[in-house]
Amino acid sequence: MNKLRNPFGPTCTNLAPLYQSGDRPTAAENMDRLPVEPTTGHPLAPREQPGYYPGYRTLAQQAYWDEATRTVVLDRVNHVPPLRFFSEAEVRVMQAVVDRILPQDDRIPTKRIPILNTIDKRLAEDIQDGYRFEGMPKDQEVFRLGIQGIEAIAQKLYQRSFAALTVLEQDRVLETLHDGNPPAGEEYWKQMSVIHFWQLLVQDCIEGYYAHPYAWDEIGFGGPAYPRGYMRLERGDPEPWEQGEQRYAWAPPPGALSGRFAPLGVEAGGKTPTPGQEGTH
Amino acid sequence: MNTPLLGPFGLAHTAEHSLGPIQQVNLAAMRRYGNTDEVDFAIVGVGAAGGVLAQRLSRAGFRVVAFDAGPFWDVERDWVSDEAGSHKLYWNEPRITGGPDPIALGSNNSGHGVGGGTVHWAAFVPRFHPSDFREYSDDGVGVDWPISYEEIKPYYALLEKEMPVAGPLNFPWGDPHGYPYGPHPSGGVADILVRGCTKLGIRAVAGGPVAITSGSHADRPHCIYRGFCIQGCKVGAKQSTLYSHVPDAIHHGAEIRANCMVARIDVGKDPDNGGPIVTGVTYFDGDGHERQQRAKVVIVSGYAIETPRLLLNSACPGFEQGLANSSDTVGRYLMVQAGNVILGRFAEPVRMYKAPPANGLTEEFYETDRKRDFARGFAIQTVGPLPISFAKQMMVAKGAWGWGLRQVMMDYNHWAAFGLLGELLPWADNRVTLAEEKDRHGLPVAKVTYSLKDNDKKLIDFGAKKTMEVMWAAGAEEVVQEPRYAHLIGGARMGNDPRTSVVDSFGRSHDVPNLFCCDGSILPTQGSANPGLTIQAIAARTADYLISEREGVMRRRPRPGVVGAVPLRRDLSPAGTSGRGVPRNKG
Repeated sequence: MNKLRNPFGPTCTNLAPLYQSGDRPTAAENMDRLPVEPTTGHPLAPREQPGYYPGYRTLAQQAYWDEATRTVVLDRVNHVPPLRFFSEAEVRVMQAVVDRILPQDDRIPTKRIPILNTIDKRLAEDIQDGYRFEGMPKDQEVFRLGIQGIEAIAQKLYQRSFAALTVLEQDRVLETLHDGNPPAGEEYWKQMSVIHFWQLLVQDCIEGYYAHPYAWDEIGFGGPAYPRGYMRLERGDPEPWEQGEQRYAWAPPPGALSGRFAPLGVEAGGKTPTPGQEGTH
Repeated sequence: MNTPLLGPFGLAHTAEHSLGPIQQVNLAAMRRYGNTDEVDFAIVGVGAAGGVLAQRLSRAGFRVVAFDAGPFWDVERDWVSDEAGSHKLYWNEPRITGGPDPIALGSNNSGHGVGGGTVHWAAFVPRFHPSDFREYSDDGVGVDWPISYEEIKPYYALLEKEMPVAGPLNFPWGDPHGYPYGPHPSGGVADILVRGCTKLGIRAVAGGPVAITSGSHADRPHCIYRGFCIQGCKVGAKQSTLYSHVPDAIHHGAEIRANCMVARIDVGKDPDNGGPIVTGVTYFDGDGHERQQRAKVVIVSGYAIETPRLLLNSACPGFEQGLANSSDTVGRYLMVQAGNVILGRFAEPVRMYKAPPANGLTEEFYETDRKRDFARGFAIQTVGPLPISFAKQMMVAKGAWGWGLRQVMMDYNHWAAFGLLGELLPWADNRVTLAEEKDRHGLPVAKVTYSLKDNDKKLIDFGAKKTMEVMWAAGAEEVVQEPRYAHLIGGARMGNDPRTSVVDSFGRSHDVPNLFCCDGSILPTQGSANPGLTIQAIAARTADYLISEREGVMRRRPRPGVVGAVPLRRDLSPAGTSGRGVPRNKG
């Protein structure tokens, strides 16, 4: 039951399962997990590094980073925090949720980014963002309620636990949250705004994934840049140590609902959601 | 290969606090006052205003203790060139945000630690326009300031040298003027802004005005264009008061008391006339112990949420509704600026993470235009979200998640971002109150209530469309936007009428003669300019007032009904910042 493969490489100390044993994806389901070549529709094999900058590694520049930054980033890569906040049952659901909000099936298992552990660490250490929307419980309670709500929707739509659904079914469950229109779990949603829960969940996944050097390599971001700085500021020119783009055609798995771009939902009453916000100017 | 000539960069381990790679400050040698000493000034909050006040008042010879709830940063050790690792720079203590249009706080607009918001601002420093000071008279909206542009103008010029500001020689809007340091080179986003504006016949400037050194300035190096302005400038190029004013304050005998959260202002009776006076502050030190500091004058510089919160938390007999709140104005007229982020995708790469995010702007739409159906206006500025911020913007702007989010993020290097900066008007019911919830010290936390009114909504709609138009004109293939707010202003506004304002134009409270507020909270309106320069300019002006009125203030004489102009002190600038050579441009 607990024979799990390690999706995060040998440094991970407390493993979260990517798939439950017994729920291994079939070949057919793999088709729903992998991006495809758009003209042929053939699935693309998982890569060490997806994105248009093959071979580009921000970590290769670490000697040019200042010591404080190097320490923080290497700690993020080498010391995946153990799971402390979520219970075993919650981990099963949350891991499946995180795997759909930022799917990594196109990455080989040793190059996947441990998102759930960073969320767990934030909640275990009570690291907050400096404000809470009126009517929202504390973030820890938000996640506990949200997991129960997601399970309720999965049971209502498919009579199974979220973690046991196919990825397309999981997408369907999550899409109801994105749309602000969950078909079940009212007892949980009446305790908090669905849209604010959804935004908190997606933001937390973003903070785990796009804080990682593997993600910087994927998108061609320069990463830490002190004390060296940049000298080529215009026209998107790469620094000598950066890499130009090598685009290839790909499309999300054909059935994946998250491959479509649909506006964030509005909740009953027509209220536009308040955006997740980051200081910009 | 792949290592610097002399090996990987390491920390220099010294006893001094590093403020960038060159500047250092020795905190062990900093003057320290005892709790029973009665100092001249207790300043609450060492941000944009508090840093300037502490510097000027200590230079003038006063005994100053300045409190900050957060740490005194050693920037080589504490700050990182990393988005996720910079969370500690923001005010992360609990607050509640609500109302019909709740505003985001935290990283959006609130700093923590010495330097305050200037540590993580993008450092755009346009002046307010002359029209901002009389918008009720001219446009029938908002409120007039108790001072004119002409009264604050010399302080703008002074602070532009002290920061110092890099920008164009000819800044054509408002009161046309030029900047002491040359403009920065353009990044990809500023190129796009200028291109789009030029296509549409809109004037634009690039390379500033921004409080980032374009040349080395005393012990501060010039900018290296790494794009991490909002994560704290390790380089020492972007101004924060931590770099520009706090070292000079310490050098002149001010004590910066970090990690100390002021809980309330202590109130007593004037031994001469029995009237109410403040006697100091009660605070929690770094170990959580409650302490008191006696002071002849208290200046609250906690910004638009913590300043009203402290006044409300200081309610006591005689001030049941909060200290200095006989007008019921404390906490009211809280403002944010429209800060929609407009994102455009281009066929060619942009790499918007390079160059300062604050790099180019137009103020062509700043003033009221009778042809539009709303009052006041907006600016369009460059911004440069790093990957985490950009992904969150895409979550809203495109509804992205899952594979869609992964896909759009793979094109991160093809996107450019503009920020709308629109003036939203002051309304009494947009306010800070106290929540039931308490913080870790047992102090009630702030609750912020906000709603947009008709003029605000029309302005945002028009401004966002105009900004998108510029992005399209620059050649974008796709343009989307994220609705958003920026900055905080108001909550303890200045005015001549004690029935409708909290403080006078020098920040002196109408109700208590030796209590001052001086920060963004006292601004009555906000224009479409980033507020950081104006906050520092009014702090310098308040310092000049305190120095020239020292007798009346120290002896806690009642506030005079009308105060005339106070002499501008040009001898209080930090060393090496007050030379000649500031370009004059009458436009």
